[in-house]
Amino acid sequence: MSRTMLTTRTTLTPSLIAIVGFLTVCPVVMLVFGSFSEGLGAFGTFTLEKYIRSYTDPALASIIVNTVIFIIGSALVATVLALFLAYLNTRTNIPFKFLFRIISIIPMMIPHILFSVSWVLLLNPSNGILNLLLREILSLEGAPFNIYTLPGMILVEGLLDLPIAYLILAPAMSSFDVSLEESSKVCGSSDLRTLGRITLPVLRPAILSSVILVIVRSLASFAVPSIIGMPGRIYVLSTHIYRIIATGFAADFGMAAAVGMSVLATSISLIYLYRYLTSESEKYVTISSRGYRPTVINLKNAKYPLFGIVALISSVLIVLPVLVLFYTSLIPYSMVPSAKAFAMMSWKNWMEVLRDPISLLSLKNSVFLGIGGATLGVILSIFVAYTIVKIRTPAAGALESLSFLSFSFPGIVVGVGFMWFFVRTPLYATIWSLLIGYIATYLPYGIRPMTSAFVQIHSHLEESSRVCGGGTLYTLRRIVIPLLIPGIVSGWILMATMFVRELTLSVVLSRPGTEVLAVQILRFAEDGLWGQLSALGIMMIFISTTLVVIASVIGAKLTKIETVIS
Amino acid sequence: MEIQIKSLSKDFFSEGKRIKALANVDLTIPANQIFTLLGPSGCGKTTLLRCIVGLETPDSGEIAIGEEIVWSEEKNIFVPPEKRGLSMVFQTYAIWPHMNVFDNVAYPLQTRKEPKEDIKRKVERTLRFVQMEGFENRPATKLSGGQQQRVALARALVAEPKVILFDEPLSNLDAKLREETRKELRSFLTELKITAVYVTHDRIEALSLSDTVAVMRDGRIVEIGTPKKIYFDSDHRFVADFIGRANLIDGKVKAVEDSYTIIDSGIGTIACQKCPDLSPGNAVTLCIRPEFIKLMEGDTGDGRNIFWGRVESLIFVGEAYEGEISITDTRLITRIEPTANVKEGDEIALSFDPDHCFVLSK
Repeated sequence: MSRTMLTTRTTLTPSLIAIVGFLTVCPVVMLVFGSFSEGLGAFGTFTLEKYIRSYTDPALASIIVNTVIFIIGSALVATVLALFLAYLNTRTNIPFKFLFRIISIIPMMIPHILFSVSWVLLLNPSNGILNLLLREILSLEGAPFNIYTLPGMILVEGLLDLPIAYLILAPAMSSFDVSLEESSKVCGSSDLRTLGRITLPVLRPAILSSVILVIVRSLASFAVPSIIGMPGRIYVLSTHIYRIIATGFAADFGMAAAVGMSVLATSISLIYLYRYLTSESEKYVTISSRGYRPTVINLKNAKYPLFGIVALISSVLIVLPVLVLFYTSLIPYSMVPSAKAFAMMSWKNWMEVLRDPISLLSLKNSVFLGIGGATLGVILSIFVAYTIVKIRTPAAGALESLSFLSFSFPGIVVGVGFMWFFVRTPLYATIWSLLIGYIATYLPYGIRPMTSAFVQIHSHLEESSRVCGGGTLYTLRRIVIPLLIPGIVSGWILMATMFVRELTLSVVLSRPGTEVLAVQILRFAEDGLWGQLSALGIMMIFISTTLVVIASVIGAKLTKIETVIS
Repeated sequence: MEIQIKSLSKDFFSEGKRIKALANVDLTIPANQIFTLLGPSGCGKTTLLRCIVGLETPDSGEIAIGEEIVWSEEKNIFVPPEKRGLSMVFQTYAIWPHMNVFDNVAYPLQTRKEPKEDIKRKVERTLRFVQMEGFENRPATKLSGGQQQRVALARALVAEPKVILFDEPLSNLDAKLREETRKELRSFLTELKITAVYVTHDRIEALSLSDTVAVMRDGRIVEIGTPKKIYFDSDHRFVADFIGRANLIDGKVKAVEDSYTIIDSGIGTIACQKCPDLSPGNAVTLCIRPEFIKLMEGDTGDGRNIFWGRVESLIFVGEAYEGEISITDTRLITRIEPTANVKEGDEIALSFDPDHCFVLSK
């Protein structure tokens, strides 16, 4: 019995390595081939021409400068804001702490492209609602703000990456040994001095990892550069690649691959630096095993003003985008909310979207990709996580590194790599090419929650069931699966919401007939159809939210059934 | 039910090295006794337990529980753990966090598909036995360490198993609770008249709980005996040293008398327990425990087994002083009454109780 288990186990690992290896290595290998080839249709002979052409482009220098400013700026904005919020939440007596949980989770549900659009609607120089409002109030000549600038891009990207930075910093801050701070205070330092001299230096690895992770994400970001950057003619590497393959007369996938190579290399090195730092920070930040609560700093009079700032940030992150989109979807053209605007409101934009065959197709495709892709992705993640956590052979370690590698892949670059692959298969221009690409790019997000779910199941829990008389299947049904359900549900939710709103990979792989929601929204933005865009955007948010609710309800039901049976 | 283990071996591979977890273990665990496997960590005691219960497959040998062979390399028999009819209390208790107390305890009966009313009655009875009645609906995550331990015990007892196995079940409790639980466990097990195999590295646990103790080292059983035999009269130097504080003195047999054996050693001539199979000239090691070295005050008696030494250090540990005495080049630890009138640097006379000086033959 244990021998048969052993053989299934030994065949499981290589086949998983084959699948995950294909998903992660294939786009990279094809990217390399592509960058040295003559054309997308046929590889032709080995040539350096694409590299020479793309790296001697005189525009490239300014694009790289823009990119560096953009990614570092966003990383600083996100990390500073996250530090501020995490400190207030974990270490002070600020009221309404539940708001912080919302800040850290909800923005993940608002698609980046819609968030960027809502800022364009608020702050574009010609008819941004906030600009119009300020012009009226202060009777100004021109618009006071212009979102189509590098600072505008940095602000929006920084806010978008705030949740990621917060999720890294908050646990680090709440788990570090307070006695380090207490001894500083005993030595006579004030709260503020302790913060500067002890708290922040001890947290340095966590802060650095947050900065690096946000840099990686903003390097891969396409929503902000395309919606905010391109109208202002500010190009970064991701939009530069997009311009090479999607605009102009001849799409050149070879040049796109050549540029993509350096983006990919940067991203992979940063992710390995991040990984090194997180393993370091585990050594650095000491977590004490006794259940202590960190001392809470009394904010006294600063309590409510500080809370005001938090409330402002959360409303800017969550309420404002949805509100602006909904408002825009109801009015015929951009205007300041007024009696006139409310009188002109109608469902016209909504009706137009629902009559538009391409919008309807994109709705159908995205729902299919969300449900089907997340289901397949979670099933694959369960096996991979099981291998990583429970089998632990050197091969399983290789699997972990592989699946972690794709975490660093910028969607648009992976898309270019996959394009070189799919064009040679019957999958080209089908929905299946998108499905495979999505799973390849977002697999780590499914594996993460599954790994922690498996880690939670101590081997004694299974063994104890066996000794109590439960066979393998009985143990699986009554012990292992029920304990895994929370992990399965959260992995599925994470993947489904990401797939419904996927943009960066889709702009490359989506062809006529395989349009998806985010790509359709980008088309609307390029055509300036803000009303229809907003209507479709609200539908997209509604679909994501519905999937989350359904998955949570099913998850809760399954856990309940277990207690009823027994 | 008796457990018979015949030449059981198992190797582990760790970092390219082969480690002998079990090396040809032959062992009979008598029925209806509390049998303890004691040894330092890595000695193979937990591996042996896991082989008995079926969670680990040995490389060779045979295991029989009662009349039934549950593992045999030769006869190609492997009965999976769920068919062995045993029960086990794990070091981590392995209480399932997604179930309440009732379901955790009822689980072994549910796997056997017993009628609902029987399950309810048996679970109630068992919970009362471990003094956890009224906790049926408590979620498993809302239990203290001591309560988890009781639930784990209830789950192990509820199906009236042939044998119950314990894998260091007290090591996760704090010192005071551990002591209380040890006493309770002793009374539960004595009341039940059940075969229990208990694995621990704690010598006090082993001595106070067991009917029989088997001391293990490097995958082998070194010595088996009652707690008293193991403590007062062990045959092996390793066992004597592991089971309690011991003064070990090397020497040579001088004479074998009617009631005592006389040993020549570095500190002088010592009379000790009679060992008929020794003859003059044999090299031996003597063991004497600190509590059998007495401080002589005033009268030094007939002079047998009396030695003069210097108090090197004296540490007050509550119920007594722990003294370190040097006699010529040999240092001995002794237990000195807290009322004794001695201080560091004093020359004192010590007497060894010859009935508690024993020769380690191996």
